[in-house]
Amino acid sequence: MTSEKSATPGQTMIEFKDVHKYYGDYHALRGITATIKAGEFFSLLGPSGCGKTTLLRTIAGFEGISSGVVMIDGKDMAHVPANVRPTNMVFQSYAIFPHLTVAQNVGFGLRKDPRSKAEKDAAVAEALEMVGLKGYGARAAHALSGGQRQRVALARALILKPKVLLLDEPLSALDKKMREQMQMELIKLQRQVGITFILVTHDQEEALVMSDRIAVMFEGEIAQLADPETLYRRPNSRKVADFIGTMNFLPAEILSEMDGKVEVEAKGFGRLTLDAEQVSSAPGGAGASIGFRPETLTILFDGQTATDRESRAEVVEVVYYGDMTYYDIRLEGTTEPMRLSMRNVFGRPVLDIGTQTRVAWSPGALVLFR
Amino acid sequence: MQSKPKLRFWGSEAASGLLMISPTAIYAILLLAAPLAMIVAYSFMTDGYLQIIPRFQLCNYVGECHSYKDVNGVLTEAQTYKGVWSDPLALTLMWRSLLVSMLVTAVTVLLAFPVAYYVSFYVSPSKKSLWLFLITIPFWTSYLIRVFLWKVILGTGGPINYGLLELGLIQEPITWLLYNLNSVVITLAHAYAPFAILPIFVSLEKIDRSFLEAGRDLGESPFMTFWRVTLPLAMPGVISSVLIVFIPTIGDYVTPSLVGGPEGKMVANLVELNYKKLDNYPLGSALAVSSMALVMAVSLLFLFMNRRFLKGNKR
Repeated sequence: MTSEKSATPGQTMIEFKDVHKYYGDYHALRGITATIKAGEFFSLLGPSGCGKTTLLRTIAGFEGISSGVVMIDGKDMAHVPANVRPTNMVFQSYAIFPHLTVAQNVGFGLRKDPRSKAEKDAAVAEALEMVGLKGYGARAAHALSGGQRQRVALARALILKPKVLLLDEPLSALDKKMREQMQMELIKLQRQVGITFILVTHDQEEALVMSDRIAVMFEGEIAQLADPETLYRRPNSRKVADFIGTMNFLPAEILSEMDGKVEVEAKGFGRLTLDAEQVSSAPGGAGASIGFRPETLTILFDGQTATDRESRAEVVEVVYYGDMTYYDIRLEGTTEPMRLSMRNVFGRPVLDIGTQTRVAWSPGALVLFR
Repeated sequence: MQSKPKLRFWGSEAASGLLMISPTAIYAILLLAAPLAMIVAYSFMTDGYLQIIPRFQLCNYVGECHSYKDVNGVLTEAQTYKGVWSDPLALTLMWRSLLVSMLVTAVTVLLAFPVAYYVSFYVSPSKKSLWLFLITIPFWTSYLIRVFLWKVILGTGGPINYGLLELGLIQEPITWLLYNLNSVVITLAHAYAPFAILPIFVSLEKIDRSFLEAGRDLGESPFMTFWRVTLPLAMPGVISSVLIVFIPTIGDYVTPSLVGGPEGKMVANLVELNYKKLDNYPLGSALAVSSMALVMAVSLLFLFMNRRFLKGNKR
């Protein structure tokens, strides 16, 4: 995912060095250190109040920092005001000026542009066409729908060819269908213009779909910074695992550690050996546990056999979704039900509550948290 | 609910709506529309001694008019006077009133804007109502007393002259502060300041702060962001302020008669003179109607010039 798009590998666009931000006594950013590469689609993901928007605003220059360094394209932004930074923002509210037309909004930032008026008008028309609003220039800003406003906001920012485009929860005000459509369009647009996009979102699915890399933030800190697949498959803490998708946790006991391999015993799964990369690096929490995603467990129907390992289980809840069926199962010897999902391929039955069954799993799909 | 056909109207929503607005409507008709209609009617009638003769004429506005006297049951011409638009004195006073109210409006709104801006942008939200409350303090004393106080402040023995004399900046008291247009403008601007501050404050409050950030983000300095974003969005408030100050000041007569001196008299003083001392209701009414027309014309022109700011700015 990352490899194909990093056109200028190693080139750093944004660098945070131990960035702290206080609001009075409130410690909003607690030592953020990270780099964002040029041409990357980067997401800041976290629950509300985690500091993701604050971090975005320190890039834009709307928020000063208490200590640390924010660099854009190799320049320290400490005394650079918002209006001269090489960034542009798509605001959560879109901030489309209500007293101006669509074209005037899009051309707002071109006042100091030395080009002639005709050339600027052409640039505005081109930007509108790029976001799919060809011919909307003369409309009043207040006559636009939510999706159209967002496109105007995008055109208004991209027309200035910023080095970095900042998007503050741009899709949160749209309905589901519109949101999914805009996700795809944003990805396409980013590939087309090649600008570094930084997206703030609280929607983990959105971050997974759109990003090259994601920084998951909790309470002013980056908990994990990784590409979507790593984040999903190898979350480095229970907190990250909980925030992204669904993860089941099974209490486990660490028996021994040798040469990076960890031997654990977990009720329901039995004794198993895990590789070092399957062990979460962030310690904390009450006791060790094995984590696994619902789709990594498979129900074995009559006659099927596991390719790797299998366990006995009882179905305690069934939720039918059409394309998928979600089961809550209780592994033999455990008390807490675990979530399991099965694709409803043709001919596969849906089990009833209370059915005794077998489930197949693979130790490689598990993660150990301790 | 009874459903007798007779009661259909009285039970309807329209009826209850009418019923609800009727006190206000009756009030407005009796106390606003009716007197206004009477004044307009008077302005076309003929002046008699201690009476108004219901004879239609236009000369109260243009040309020469005659006042009549009842001499043994026969109406006899008593005096001759000029209609409003033919009378140099009336015209001077009307133009002066217009000038004064424009000056007052300009001064008031220009001074009110920074105050409203400060309260809206720099005062913490929890303290805003306190500030607005403090702004209304001048209203706690009577208007008349405030005008008298200005008379004291601006007078030859007042604090301004005293201070300047003590500092040695002037050798003798300055007299151009009081009993002329300056004192009228100063006094009125002070009196109307809160009326100008509030509408501007409201429109500034309504501006989504992300618009200002967007202005900065798109490359504009704080000043240019103010010029291109804040000010246009605050214009509805500025326009209301202008009208709220302009319309009543043109007809003010307490201030000019107390601090205006002979060269500070305004059209309302002439209306008063005609109604009271000269007992010429038709001419006084014509003056009132003329100045009202003037206010209306100027206000409409002003609204027309600013129409682009008043188009539906709904979000």
